Amino acid sequence: MNKFGFLFLSAALVTLPVRGMAAYEGGDVKDGGSISGAVKFKGSAPAPKKLDVSKDKEVCAKTSKTDPSLIVNGGNLVNAVVTITDIKKGKKIELKKVTLDQNGCEYKPHVLAFPAGTTVEILNPDGILHNVHSYSKVNSPFNQAQPKFKKTLNVKIEKPEAIELKCDVHGWMQGWLVATESPYFAVTDSSGNFKLTDVPAGSYTVEVWHEKLGKSSQKVTVKAKEEAKVTFEVAGK
Amino acid sequence: MAERGIDKQEEKKSYGSVFLIGIALLVVLTGWSFWDDNITRRPWKAMQARFYHLDYGKAKAAYDEENKKLQADAAYQELSKKLAAAQASLSGGALGQKLASLEKQESAATVRFNDIDQEVKNIKSELEEAWYEHDHAVQQKRNVKPYLERIKELDKEKEKLDPELEKARQKRELIKEEIKTIRNSAKEIEIELGKLAAERDKWVRVMENVTLKLGPFSFYKIPKIEQVSLDEFDRNNFDQPVARVDRCQTCHLAINRPGFEKEANPFKTHPKREIFLGDNAHPPGKFGCTGCHEGQGVAVNSAKHAHGEVHLWEFPLLRGAKSQSSCTSCHLDVQKFETEAPLLAQGQRLFEQIGCTGCHLVKGYENLPKIAPSLRKISAKVDPSWMVRWIENPHKFRPRARMPNFDLKQDDAVAIAAFLWSLAKEEGDKWAQEHPLPAGFREGNAGQVAKGKKLVETIGCKGCHGLAEGEFSTPLGKEKDLVPNLKDIASKTSAQWTYHWIRNPRGYSPDTNMPSLRLTDDEAMAMTNYLMTLGAKPEAMAGIEEKLADAKNIKRGETLVRRWGCYGCHEIKGLEKESRIGAELTTFGSKPKEELFFGNRTDIKETWDDWTYNKLKTPRIYATERIEQLMPQFNLADDDIKALRVLLGGFRERKVGQRYQADQGLRVQQVVDGRRIMQQYNCVGCHEIEKRGGFIRKYYKENPNLAPPVLNGQGEKVQSNWFFNFLKAPIPIRPWLEARMPTFGLSDEHANQLVSYFNGLAKVDIPYAYVDDKKIPQEHLEAARVLVSKDYFNCFSCHQQGERKPEGPVEGWAPDLALARQRLNPKWIIKWLQDPQKVEPGTKMPSFYPGGPDNILGGKDDRQIEALRDYLMSIGRGAPAAVTAEVAKAKPARR
Ligand SMILES: [Cu+2]
Repeated sequence: MNKFGFLFLSAALVTLPVRGMAAYEGGDVKDGGSISGAVKFKGSAPAPKKLDVSKDKEVCAKTSKTDPSLIVNGGNLVNAVVTITDIKKGKKIELKKVTLDQNGCEYKPHVLAFPAGTTVEILNPDGILHNVHSYSKVNSPFNQAQPKFKKTLNVKIEKPEAIELKCDVHGWMQGWLVATESPYFAVTDSSGNFKLTDVPAGSYTVEVWHEKLGKSSQKVTVKAKEEAKVTFEVAGK
Repeated sequence: MAERGIDKQEEKKSYGSVFLIGIALLVVLTGWSFWDDNITRRPWKAMQARFYHLDYGKAKAAYDEENKKLQADAAYQELSKKLAAAQASLSGGALGQKLASLEKQESAATVRFNDIDQEVKNIKSELEEAWYEHDHAVQQKRNVKPYLERIKELDKEKEKLDPELEKARQKRELIKEEIKTIRNSAKEIEIELGKLAAERDKWVRVMENVTLKLGPFSFYKIPKIEQVSLDEFDRNNFDQPVARVDRCQTCHLAINRPGFEKEANPFKTHPKREIFLGDNAHPPGKFGCTGCHEGQGVAVNSAKHAHGEVHLWEFPLLRGAKSQSSCTSCHLDVQKFETEAPLLAQGQRLFEQIGCTGCHLVKGYENLPKIAPSLRKISAKVDPSWMVRWIENPHKFRPRARMPNFDLKQDDAVAIAAFLWSLAKEEGDKWAQEHPLPAGFREGNAGQVAKGKKLVETIGCKGCHGLAEGEFSTPLGKEKDLVPNLKDIASKTSAQWTYHWIRNPRGYSPDTNMPSLRLTDDEAMAMTNYLMTLGAKPEAMAGIEEKLADAKNIKRGETLVRRWGCYGCHEIKGLEKESRIGAELTTFGSKPKEELFFGNRTDIKETWDDWTYNKLKTPRIYATERIEQLMPQFNLADDDIKALRVLLGGFRERKVGQRYQADQGLRVQQVVDGRRIMQQYNCVGCHEIEKRGGFIRKYYKENPNLAPPVLNGQGEKVQSNWFFNFLKAPIPIRPWLEARMPTFGLSDEHANQLVSYFNGLAKVDIPYAYVDDKKIPQEHLEAARVLVSKDYFNCFSCHQQGERKPEGPVEGWAPDLALARQRLNPKWIIKWLQDPQKVEPGTKMPSFYPGGPDNILGGKDDRQIEALRDYLMSIGRGAPAAVTAEVAKAKPARR
């Protein structure tokens, strides 16, 4: 190996781990652009599956429930989480309180995304017992009872992770808390669209995650003050 | 002619050169002897010098590093400046001047105080005198008045002086105090600085430790032997306790010091130092090194000598994992060292479970049960052609079988089969006649096969048996199965036998470990039907029936069975009492290599390690033309051989002094005995116990709630009398589980041993609980009734209570709380309610505390938890005892 090759290699060895560890840095974004688009579902959309509400019917069966884990609307995928995975600098992370409602024995929203470090306020207006059981691996898992008298419950999610929530009292209740590293995240709305704003000009990896269909990503280039249009295609399993 | 006696020439001769040579020789010899004594024969001195150099260098580097940090630390710098300023000010600056003036004031104040003090003293003595005169006058009956007046006068004077004296004293104290404060101002800063620099300055002590100061010079310390004497560690040939001397730390100087982990030996820190050398483990000052590692502890003249790797030293150094052999010298329970001594734990499991004790006697392992099935009724069980092929080489049919390969010729296998068949025929035929296939059985019925498959896969069979290639639950080493894989079961046995076997295993073999799953006839038929689809009927050997009936074969078979010692592992009619055919291994680990028979092998290194490894790898490797070897081939993986070798290395019957021994009390013995029973019945196939096992859980990754419960800490959780009854006759506690807790038909003794095992593991002191209903406060019951109600914790939303069942699908249910009174330990209930996730990570039971409702029992969590416990212990009153009629039905094991 020649001298330069060696130098290059050692430089790479020194810089790589540092780059890998660099955390997100927030600040002011001037002339930011945006990324918007839709997540398309490839394949034939499954028929919505009706959930069997077998318990606490007087409260939980007021509305009929369908399986929320895979919803396709007009060919677009609902409740997918879109994030920029490799952004290191951008707008400030604002830690606002976010709310997860269990009204009618269902998690609303079904997928709740927020930056890591956020406190989630979990509501129980049902007047019956729920329990919030997290299946987390990165954050410490919890399983908190939320009886009638405990109308709200606060949990802080410290580290980035997609965490599944379940209620052991009501077997059908299932939802997700998605804590992200940067403030650039969006959950696709009821028509499968999303928008990320105030993105500094540059080229990024944008990732879409869905609880049933996994992850996929693509490169997106954002120009100042312009809107970059992206379409994801996610194949059904 | 020369004068007589005088040789002129001689006189003139000079001996200078001779003396010179002599002196030179003396000097050289002196030098050599010095060199030899200090350097050649004491290599450890150079070693220590090297270490001091290393230690000093590391400490210096660490010091510099810390120092650099301090130099960059603003707080430290500021404080240093403050100190320098204070010191400067003291030694000539403003403070110094102030101090000087204060000192002057102090001496003035002292003079003033002393003056007044003297005056007061004078008055006091004058008073004494006046009183004397007064008393004298009284005695002489004179007029005392003038004396009293004088006393009064003096008293007045003193009264006047007293406050003045006090004032002077206070003034002096004040000045003194001020001086002290000024002087201390620097000292306080110094202490603060010392605290900040503690991380740095500790390295100074390390450097001082290896150096010797002589005036302005500093040298490395003078090397010296580091010796530990282990009093009464060993016993001599007359069984008297003798000390063991251990000088290993003369060279291994950093063995118990952190920071040398990356150095090369001998200066390396002991791996996992805190675990192995900690004060609660084996501090080297008490245990030395040779206690675990052997070697020649007293030798210091070379590494080879010290390590005992020399001719005729019987205990060469045990390096690394090999030192695990020594654990058994002091520890009775080594299975608990799964992480600390994994090879030993693994080796012991293998040794106990693969059948070594069938042929070899070892103290401490004498009473293990025979590991293989009884052959009393074998003719009713297996296909005769299969049997011959199996005896010939079991690994051909099932490579992971425990049964070893005896490498028999087919003739011999036929003869052995014939003998066993002849013994079993009568009893076997009778059993077969009494146990016909039920009339409803339709072999190959697709519906039954499908139903049977589902049952076999869900009811719990897979907690022990594999059903496909490479599938297994409890591993036995790397390449063996504890329980047979059933993927070819149909080529071994018949539907008839299978049906009756799974319905009631003990009906065929009263001592079997195979439990009953309490199958209904329909279930057993379906499962039999499915199992008979696994594998094909074997091709029959020509004339097999006649061969098995042949009297000559039978006679020869008996000789062969005796020769190979089949009865070591199998129960064979008439041969139950035969003794083991192998050598006793109680002291095998201390066998010198001279006593090991290497046959004609010259390619194997003559060490105990190599002999043993090759013996286990190829058991007949040392056979010669004249000397045959009988040990069969187990086909063990290399790692397993090494694990077994570690265990065998510990078979030394060492009598280590009492004070070095680990606890070997009743509790420990109970854990060891109970664990053997637990392993015998393979409880770990389904349940995780001692953080090991629960192997069936891999089939429940999707929904761990449906897997059999984890039993870590079970002893603390349940009451012993309930547990005993449950083990004897299990009842479903978790109705949502498809896997059934089987009925093992445990003897009272075995059930009791299992209970003691779990209690021992959990260190339970009092295994019983008595609930005195009269002592439960009414207030608690009332509060708890509110707490469990729908408006509060709504416990019965998931928990069953006797006949009161929860809503919703059964997999959402939780155990019957009416059982709590008999089943659960009240102390455990408290722990559980405080934090269920801590007791059982991942449990469905959510945490209700902290955060109980404010309006009950003053909102105090502790009191609410106690109330709930009292309530739970009271609601099961009158619930039926766990013992059911099944106890009477189940036949106890004879062992
Ligand atoms: Cu719920």
